[in-house]
Parts: sequence; structure tokens; C-alpha cells
Amino acid sequence: MIARAGARVLAVAMALGAALGSRAGATESAAGEPPSAATPNRGDRAEGDLGTDSDAASFPDARFGPRYLIEEVVIRGNRKTAKSLILGELAALGLAPGASVDASDPRVQAARYRLLALGFFLDVRLSLTRGAKRGGAILAVEVDERGTLVINELFPATSQATLFWGGADVSETNFLGRGINLGVGFVASTKPVVPDAHAGLGLRLRAGVPPLGGPNGLSLSLTGLFNDGSEFYRAAGDDGDPAPDDFVATRVRRAGGLLTVGKMLPAGLHASIGLREEEITATLPPLEARVLPGGGVVPIDFMIRGGASRVGTVSAGLDLDTRSDPILPRDGMRIALSVETGDEILGSSYGYLKGVLDASFYRKLPHGHALGFHVFAGAIGGDAPYFDRFFVGDLNLLLPRRALGINFSTQPSPNLFNTNIAHHRYDNYAGRLLVEYAVPIWRHHGLVYGGDAFVAVGLLGMASDGDLSAPGPVSARTLPIDVTGDLGLRLDTYVGVFTISVANALSRASF
Amino acid sequence: MDTRRAVFAAASVTACLVGVLAGRTAQAADPPPRRQSGIEVKNGQVTVSVGLQDLFGPAERQHLSSGFATRVLIRAAIQDESSGEPIALAVQRTEIVYDIWDERFEVRSTRGLGAEQRAVVPTADEAIWRATALVDFPLAEAKRLRPDGRYVVVLRGDLNPISEDLLVEVRRWLVQPARGERSLGAGDSFFGSFVSIFVNPRIEDSERQIRFVSQPFAPGSPTLPTPRSSPPRSKIGGIPR
Repeated sequence: MIARAGARVLAVAMALGAALGSRAGATESAAGEPPSAATPNRGDRAEGDLGTDSDAASFPDARFGPRYLIEEVVIRGNRKTAKSLILGELAALGLAPGASVDASDPRVQAARYRLLALGFFLDVRLSLTRGAKRGGAILAVEVDERGTLVINELFPATSQATLFWGGADVSETNFLGRGINLGVGFVASTKPVVPDAHAGLGLRLRAGVPPLGGPNGLSLSLTGLFNDGSEFYRAAGDDGDPAPDDFVATRVRRAGGLLTVGKMLPAGLHASIGLREEEITATLPPLEARVLPGGGVVPIDFMIRGGASRVGTVSAGLDLDTRSDPILPRDGMRIALSVETGDEILGSSYGYLKGVLDASFYRKLPHGHALGFHVFAGAIGGDAPYFDRFFVGDLNLLLPRRALGINFSTQPSPNLFNTNIAHHRYDNYAGRLLVEYAVPIWRHHGLVYGGDAFVAVGLLGMASDGDLSAPGPVSARTLPIDVTGDLGLRLDTYVGVFTISVANALSRASF
Repeated sequence: MDTRRAVFAAASVTACLVGVLAGRTAQAADPPPRRQSGIEVKNGQVTVSVGLQDLFGPAERQHLSSGFATRVLIRAAIQDESSGEPIALAVQRTEIVYDIWDERFEVRSTRGLGAEQRAVVPTADEAIWRATALVDFPLAEAKRLRPDGRYVVVLRGDLNPISEDLLVEVRRWLVQPARGERSLGAGDSFFGSFVSIFVNPRIEDSERQIRFVSQPFAPGSPTLPTPRSSPPRSKIGGIPR
């Protein structure tokens, strides 16, 4: 018992030491000592839970101070945000005219952070002033609005096949002050030097309304998409050679939309379902066969129907996020699972089923370091269009990713194991395992809240049905796997989140 | 081959950069400032007397009259000066509410598992003093300290601390306002993004916090006289529990 209590003291002191940035650390010598008479001991709760400060600061009897009857709710400082939006959040907690509120009512703090969590305000303050009758009060909510324009992504890059492509994905998260999330994404490119290729253009228009009935209600979002671009297929040369002349290009136009309904569930779980419909127009190149290095000729699988076709799918997703921080996590996990199927019933020319698992797990290490494990696994059964298949550039951190679904590069995987991975660009099966080690560089330095140096290394693999039953002996060289990794800095700042890394540099200047 | 060379060159440059910056890891957290504190041994207990009134800035002071509760959590720990080894921890929690009709402050506080103390005071100064002034605040039994050892007291005061779960949830919503509105794919992975620009206010685990360390002390030689031990106003009211 004494040792247990002593261990609690130690745990608290360790946490306090960490909080103070001091050299306090775990030492066994203190673990067996009896607790101080001054040491708090509240039942079996671990004393080391310094993070749960509100618990440490709470009293057994939560109610303290007078109780008031709310006569009116007034909102101040909302130059842009609709008053009804704020009143709705308060009403969801029962803070409305006619209701009672205690001076120490926990709903007050909950309301403050609920409003902050909308993402529209830098600060929110609640206060009371005297009402018309004794015991009555006017509840005042003073908000300080923040900028709600978000640049989600920038796409500037260059490659051997495409001299330049660029664009951005931008959102206004409080459009018209109604909490509507309106986003626009665009990417445009110069004409790729691949024969028959066309300059690429991708557009996205996204609108999402706030969850109906509060943060845990149903959220609706609608995304419109238009893509007009080329995809590249090898027609000659070795698999490892990215020379654009060895490729031919299709021209594919996609126009459609995605309707998503989501809901927050308890314990950090988010569920969603979606309906996607697209009209496709594909122009295939005159040359539809590849000349193999040995002289043979094989047909090219364009993974898209020539002429007009349609994609119609329904999807479902689950997203569990328990990370200690979304930018610089030290603990917890994020697991995202999605299933999507295309079928004739939905008007689709392509029948397929696609499942994806993307998970990250974090473990806290001494001195603020962290270890992360990132797992990606996906499988497609059936006949999916190429843009819904797994693309090597999305898996290998060292290659250019697709921008709004358009690929601009002919670069193969670096093939550091000397396998046949260079042959694989779009596949039905994909997996990746990354191990990441993060070291804190900055904490609490002005406008840079925190920064981690990180190194990640892992394996990726891709395959399609034919690869799994290929003739001939199986050896390490026939396994389509490669090494990937990254090394750099991740910064959490007042103006956003930045990643400066080897992979980012390589993927944006790929030659 | 060109790709491999490019990977190697870029990795080398970034490794050097990261290595230089990683060398600053020891400086990553600002060391807490030092504050003179009265440390004594009374009735076999090591006690500290020090004020944390600066936990309340002008805005916090004004908000004290909001009608809603203000909570103050103070944690103090004894550490071995040289090794940083923690010896003991003590906690004081206080809650202040202002009665908008009677225009007075009600204060309640506890130290560790001790009994709850309540008081009614007329001014904000006095309420703040009761919440933030540690007077002969017991930390540990003196016999637990080595007579020849040198120790420091590390202190942290938090104003309206919030739970870690709530903190994470708010951060998540600020950073990912459109969670669930994007399709899933390897391209959306944690590593892929280069930049995301937005107004990213810092959300702390309390509205305001101060941290400091006392001057070193040896158990055999008390250090300083205690600071003022009476509240700013002489009228001290009390209400029965």
C-alpha cells in the first residue's frame, strides 16, 4: 500500500517535472518512500494524471455559489457569425432563457469550449449581469472571431514529364457566418511532354453544413469535381526508365459529385456514408500496345473505358481518433476504415469493391520523444477505373502524389531492393508499413508552438491479380516491394502547420 | 540511379539540418524562472510561503466578477537540486465565485485531502490573495529530506484548467474542421501534406499558467522569512460550512 502510494507521488512529481520542463525524471529511489502528509490522495485515481487538470482542480461537491435564473442571452463581438448559431450551441447545453444556471455550473466551461471548437473564435467569454428581478441574470457571451480561411494544401511541383503543375485547396470554414464550410481546390499544369498528353486541370468545389442539432448531429457535405487530364502508360523501354517518350497518354475528363453524410459518435469515432456519381469521357491513344525490351508486344491495359462511361459508388467510413494532438502526437491512435463499391444499380460502368485501412499508433517515449507506427492496407476486387486504384506515388513518400486525383509524373518507385516494383504504377492491392521516430525540437517558443524532427522508414508493396499467380519461381526479386521513408521537421505554428522534409522536396522536384 | 543520388543528396542535407536542430533538443523547453520563496521547517514539515498573485492579469481579474466560478490549481513539489529527483508533491485548489446580487466573493479551497475552507470576502484582491498566496504551505515531512541535501521547490499555478480530453478535442476541431469530408487514401496520409495554413490559436491546458522554481535550500538551514501572511483587507468574513 505504501509502495503504491509512493509510486503515485513519484508519478505526480514526474508529471510535474515534465510540465515544468525540469530535469525531473523517473527514479526508483523515491518509489518506495511513504507519501508526504501534504500529498493529495483521492481514492484509487492515479495521481500522475496531471493532464486532467480539471479533475485535479475539482471539488467533491461540485455546486458552489448562487444559482440564477437566465432571463436573456446576449451575444457580443460576433461581427460575422450568426447569433442563432451561437444561441443554438448554448441551447444544446440547456443554457437558454428560463433555465437556471449555477455560478460553478460545469455547462459554462463546456459551452465555452464547445464554441471554441467550432473553429470560428479566438476566445469566448461567458458572464452574468443582474437581471430585472433579484435572482435573475442576463447571460452574456462575448466572442472574439478568428480568421476562418484555411489553405489546406499547396500543389507546386515539377517532374520530368510535366514541367510545372500547381494549385491550392482553400476552405472558408464559416461562410456567410452560418458555419458553412465552403472549399475550393484547383490544380493546373503545363502540357506534359508525353506523346498525346494534354495539360491537366482539376477543380473541386466543396460545401459542408454544420452538424444538424449540435456537434454530435448529422453533417452533410457535397463535393463537385471536374478533372481534365492525362494518365501515362508505358509503351516502350525499361520499367525503371521514366523517359516521357516511352509513354503514351490517355485524355480523361471526369465530372461529378460526392454527397457525404457524417456523424460524430462517442469515444472519438466518426462515421460517414457517401454517394458518388461521375461521368467519364476517355480518349485512348492510337498506340494501344507496349513493346517489351525483349522485342515482344503486349496490349496496354488503360484501366478505363474508351468513350463515355460512368462511375457510381456508395461508400461507408469509420474514423477513430484518440491522438494526444493532431499535429505532434505523442500518444493514442488514428484508425480510418472505408469501404466503397461501384455497381450497375448505381449506374456505374465499373463494378468493384474497394476497402482501405489507414492507421497510425503512437507511443510516448522518455524525454518527450515518440514512436509512431503507420499502417496502410487496401484491396480492390473487380474492375475499378485507374483513378480509384492504388497509385504508387500516393504510397511512396519519395514520389509525386496525385494532385486532386491527377498524376503528372512518369517516375517509377526508386526500387532500392532491385525488385520488380518499377513495373507497378496502378494496382488493386497495396500495403505500407512505416515506423516513425519523433524528437521535440521546439516547445512554447512564441509563434512556433511546437516542432518535431522526425525520421520514418518503411516498406511498401503493390500488386494486382495477375501478379499473384505469375508463372515462374517466386523469389525476393519478384516481390513488388520497395523501401520508403522521410526525414524532416514538422512545425505547429500560429499560422498553420508546415512539414519540411526530404520526401516533400523529392516529391515536388521529381527527375 | 539518378533518383537514388537525388534521394541520397536530399537526405544528407536534411539530415544535417535535422541534426543541428536536434542538438537544440535540450533547450526545447524554456526553463522555469527562479522566484525567492520562504522555505522553513515547522512542526516537522517543510513549508513554503510564496505568492502567485501574478496568475491573475488584468483580464483575468476583470473576469473574476463574471458571476461564474474561477478555479485556481497550485501544485508544488520538492526536487533534489542536482538530480531533479522528485521527493513530494502538494496541491491546493481554490474556487472563487462572485455573487452579482450581493456583490461579494465566495471562496473555497482545500489543500490535499484537507478539509474545505470557505470564506466570504468583499474585494477581488482578497479573493485573489486567498487563492494564490501560499503561507506555510506544507510540502513534506522534513525527515524525508537528507540533512546534507540541497533541494528546490518547483511550483505551477493554473487558472481554470481544462481536461486533457477536452483540450485534444478542441485542438482537433481547430486543425481538422472538415473531418470526415475527405475521401480516404494513402495520398491523404499524415506524411503527405506539405503545408496547411490557418489561424491556429494556442489552446493551453489552462487559461493562464505560471511556473517557477524556488532558490535552493538545505533542510538544516531555513532560508528566508515568509512573505506577508495576512490578506490585503483586514475584514475577513467566514461562513459556516
